[in-house]
Amino acid sequence: MTAYLQALRMINFRNYADETVLLSPGLNVVVGENALGKTNLLEAISFALTGSTPRTPKENEVVRWDQDFCRTEARVALEDGGRKVAVGYAPGQKKRPTVDGVPATSLTNYAAGGAGVRVINFFPDDLRIVKGAPADRREFLDALISALRPAYARAAADYARAVQQRNQLLRRIRDGFSSERTLATWDRKVVELGETVLKGRVAAVERLEPFLADSLGALYGPEKAALRYSYSAPLETYAEALREARGADIERGTTSVGPHRDNFEVSLGGVDLTTYGSQGQQRLATLALKFAARDYVRWATGEDPILLFDDVMSELDEQRREYLADYFLQSVQAVISTTNPEYFRPEVLQRSRVIRISGGPVTVSTMAGARG
Amino acid sequence: MATYARPVERLITELSKLPSIGPKSAQRIAFHVIRGRQEDAFGLAEALREVKERIRPCRRCFNLTEAEECEICRDPRRDPSVICAVEDPYDIGSIERTGEYRGLYHVLGGALSPLDGIEPEDLRIAELVERVKVEGTQEIVVATNPNTTGEATALFIAQEVEDLPVRVTALASGLPVGGDLEYADEVTLGRAFAGRREL
Ligand SMILES: Nc1ncnc2c1ncn2[C@@H]1O[C@H](COP(=O)(O)OP(=O)(O)O)[C@@H](O)[C@H]1O
Ligand SMILES: [Mg+2]
Ligand SMILES: [Zn+2]
Repeated sequence: MTAYLQALRMINFRNYADETVLLSPGLNVVVGENALGKTNLLEAISFALTGSTPRTPKENEVVRWDQDFCRTEARVALEDGGRKVAVGYAPGQKKRPTVDGVPATSLTNYAAGGAGVRVINFFPDDLRIVKGAPADRREFLDALISALRPAYARAAADYARAVQQRNQLLRRIRDGFSSERTLATWDRKVVELGETVLKGRVAAVERLEPFLADSLGALYGPEKAALRYSYSAPLETYAEALREARGADIERGTTSVGPHRDNFEVSLGGVDLTTYGSQGQQRLATLALKFAARDYVRWATGEDPILLFDDVMSELDEQRREYLADYFLQSVQAVISTTNPEYFRPEVLQRSRVIRISGGPVTVSTMAGARG
Repeated sequence: MATYARPVERLITELSKLPSIGPKSAQRIAFHVIRGRQEDAFGLAEALREVKERIRPCRRCFNLTEAEECEICRDPRRDPSVICAVEDPYDIGSIERTGEYRGLYHVLGGALSPLDGIEPEDLRIAELVERVKVEGTQEIVVATNPNTTGEATALFIAQEVEDLPVRVTALASGLPVGGDLEYADEVTLGRAFAGRREL
């Protein structure tokens, strides 16, 4: 049995003042009416195990209204016993995750597996990975690689900062506040960091593609799914392209070449799903990408990440619901929220832990851990 | 905001101008001073005055000194053919404590950062280039901070002395010594890997 989450305590997290939830390996179904805190619970698990929320860039929203801090504590079961991890957060202050009481060396390191178990989550808003702008797809890719390689996380953050510096310099040159003396220097720095980002992304896309093809094949049908990384400039000509863009970049005051402008296309049977996919195809492709991400983490670490899928059943037909239920049952751990438990067959629920959210204390009603 | 007697308010205001001291800390320090002994408070005031009156930048390397030139520049045992360029004077202390370096220093006064409007002219880069020419320096060790601005500054310095007969080196960003590899922070370890060398 590989790592999974045994227990989570949420203090001042969203609508939870102080609640503890116990979880089982295998499938956990979070059931409750709307607006009672199902999504919040899944978000809290993610926060506890990665040190940040995947749901919003405005992190202070997770702190319970009228409170000035929140805290999550998690017990993770590992092969050689357990690990207690905690994340305390007071908006405006540095977050301090701890592992067995010892402060993690950094949040970046904590996010890259410091808790002992990684997560793959699916929130309804994730549809934008396929449906939305290139930035949404880049974010997905960067988060996935960063969860595995802290050095990549650092390079990507430094790259973003170097591009900001270069953009500011371009504007200062255009407006006559700076000479061009340091532009070559910033170009070098940008390229050095950008190359690390490019290499990381290209390798990840290559690795993800067969996983995606398998997942989407199972979810959708025999048409072949493909991923294509599309460059503003490929590695070999990146430095040169950036140099050639200087004049135009100065005029516009922004950097037009580099991985911050790249995209990757998700296609099915040769058709780009972002532009031409139906709503249903886009939804299934997003799910398939998440499954591919799970396979990727498993390939890279030898460990299964846990799956946190929010309200994923409601938009699917029965056949796909059954496929998903089986998929979740067979995973090391999956936490799935739904308003309607009937989306799962009784035999499936019998082999799962059902966590009821009623606005009051969280109750765990049934049948814990058939696999425990 | 609580209101105190005017001199107390003034002290709190002055203290909160200091780096990494917020209004709450400023208040705590102010009341600590008020409660404490008079000699201690006057000692602090005198120390502040003295440091502003007597300390100035070394005319050669811009380290802090009471004299025209700092102790390091005046020390005949130091190797004048090597200059270590740092961002701030307090970086010199860190390097000196290693006991490994016997050359001279050059304080740049910060790092290039278009976002903060910091240009080469705001740093003592021209002075460094001039020193290399006049002093016949053979090596510049750039020891700026290992972040984007520090590294860009290092690259810029290398570019500025390209045509001079001087070697430019940078510190290896290595592992903390004396600790187990297991406990090294992953980013540092990742960098150390990227910078691995032939044995
Ligand atoms: N920071 C917060 N503090 C307190 N309550 C919050 C906070 N953020 C969201 N909520 C509440 O949480 C509820 C939504 O919970 P959510 O988990 O999204 O519901 P659902 O069960 O439908 O997934 C809403 O009633 C909202 O008012
Ligand atoms: Mg919800
Ligand atoms: Zn000096």
